Amino acid sequence: MIAAECGDSDACRKLVEAFLPAIGDVARSFKNSRVERLELLQEGVAGLLVAARRYDTTLNTPFWAYAAFWVRKAMQELVAELTRPVALSDRAVRELAQIRRARSEHLQMHGVEPTSDELSRATDLTRPQLEHLQATERTPRSMQEQLTDRDEATATIGDTIVDPTAEQAYQHVLDAFEIRDMRDLTQQLDERERTVIRAHYGLGQEAQTLREIGAELGLTAERARQIEAVALSKLRAALSQSAPTGGAAT
Amino acid sequence: MSSEGTALRHNALVYESKDEYLARAVPFLKAGIEAGEGAVVAHTKPGLAMMREALGPEAARVTFVDVSAAYTRPARTLAAYHEVYVEQLRKTPTLRAVADVQFGPDPDEWNLWTGYEAAFNRSFGHLPAWVLCSYDANGTPDPIIEGVWQTHPEVVADDSWNSSDRYEDPDHLLRRITPAPAPLTGLRPIPFGRSVEELREQLARELAADKIGEAQSLDLLLAATEIANNAMQHGGGIQEVRVGRARGRFVCEIVDRGDGFDDPAAGYLAPRAGVGAGLWVARQLTWSTEFFHSPTGFTTRIWL
Repeated sequence: MIAAECGDSDACRKLVEAFLPAIGDVARSFKNSRVERLELLQEGVAGLLVAARRYDTTLNTPFWAYAAFWVRKAMQELVAELTRPVALSDRAVRELAQIRRARSEHLQMHGVEPTSDELSRATDLTRPQLEHLQATERTPRSMQEQLTDRDEATATIGDTIVDPTAEQAYQHVLDAFEIRDMRDLTQQLDERERTVIRAHYGLGQEAQTLREIGAELGLTAERARQIEAVALSKLRAALSQSAPTGGAAT
Repeated sequence: MSSEGTALRHNALVYESKDEYLARAVPFLKAGIEAGEGAVVAHTKPGLAMMREALGPEAARVTFVDVSAAYTRPARTLAAYHEVYVEQLRKTPTLRAVADVQFGPDPDEWNLWTGYEAAFNRSFGHLPAWVLCSYDANGTPDPIIEGVWQTHPEVVADDSWNSSDRYEDPDHLLRRITPAPAPLTGLRPIPFGRSVEELREQLARELAADKIGEAQSLDLLLAATEIANNAMQHGGGIQEVRVGRARGRFVCEIVDRGDGFDDPAAGYLAPRAGVGAGLWVARQLTWSTEFFHSPTGFTTRIWL
């Protein structure tokens, strides 16, 4: 035990062999987690070795009584990591799409799965970045699975995950942002204000001068400029709402 | 700077299980509701379902916010929470909130979100709110948990409220973890005219030439308007404008003639009396906005 604590690899191997059945018992308690048994065992072994490093032999606590906590904790963390709902940032989604694209290109070109190093080179992502991002795709639970086993719960796993498996996930997310932003911002404007802004800055059409826009609307260029100024002020106000004075502390 | 406007209480709860989360969050909110305070729960959909059930009839008096896709960029997340809190503070004089924090899987982003938590202290410092940020200890990497103690003056862990002796001044922390902007090669100077309107027209041409979508173009035009107005009002005018592509994004740099400023939370301060909203607006509309001194002058770099 002391040799294992000190990092003696042979002692560690013997320790693992001795406690593998006990680790297997703990892993069985996670059988409903849908994480593969081998992965659970690997994490359990890692937990056992943490316990070995921390175990205080002078306290006379039975080793397994102490180590079981670390083994279970390591498995719990793995299950949590692999099955918890993940809220991906749009950057993460973009990088996942990049990984997927690189993998697909590699498969097409070479007919075999790329290694992590090859993916890392192709995407400019570091190995740890790559592994963390790929871990988010390993969620093994059904997308339609209810999140609790109570009848009244309505949310499913699928409801909580920004789907990183869609081929165009990144573009989809960006589109969603764009659509939302555009809708949110321009909803603050009336039709004439929208027309002026879009025409003046060439948003989805050829850009026009204020004089040209004014002529089309039957207005002077100066009036078109005023309409634009009001529109920009409205958009700014929509983005900079402050707390009510009465509610804020003085 | 952390004590600037001390209305806010910004604490954290590190929980090991759903039971522990509920045992802390539910009484915390119910005590506020009984005292006439507003109540907000921010969580993923399953978390909200769990809280609704645990709160029982009191759930009707709580605002529930789905944060499944809220943690995209710190400025946007701050703005989203700000909108919710402002709305609540129109109804009640004070509020309590329990907000479950969602970090992404990329370690490179963890500092960004720790910075977000630090900025939160200054951003919402003026709001009469008690916000309990909750962190699921299972599966949350150690550096993030360490950041919790650095960014919240009090943390609930191991069944007790603990004053954090690792709490760090938000400005100090933001300076420590924010990398200095590196010079970007490949940006080209563009004419910027004599007014903000002429600058917008020029930028619009650049955006169209780069095939940037309508919504993003409008975002950049609005953000650049704010920065340009700042440069003209406080920075002695515009010295140079550069645009181009870097790391796959459209970038616009506006250099002014002034001395600039040195505030790591610039643009993260929610609008309030005495605080200009221009940089707040610019940050919301862009992927990232950096302020720094460069050889050509005080520079604002906008990443679209």
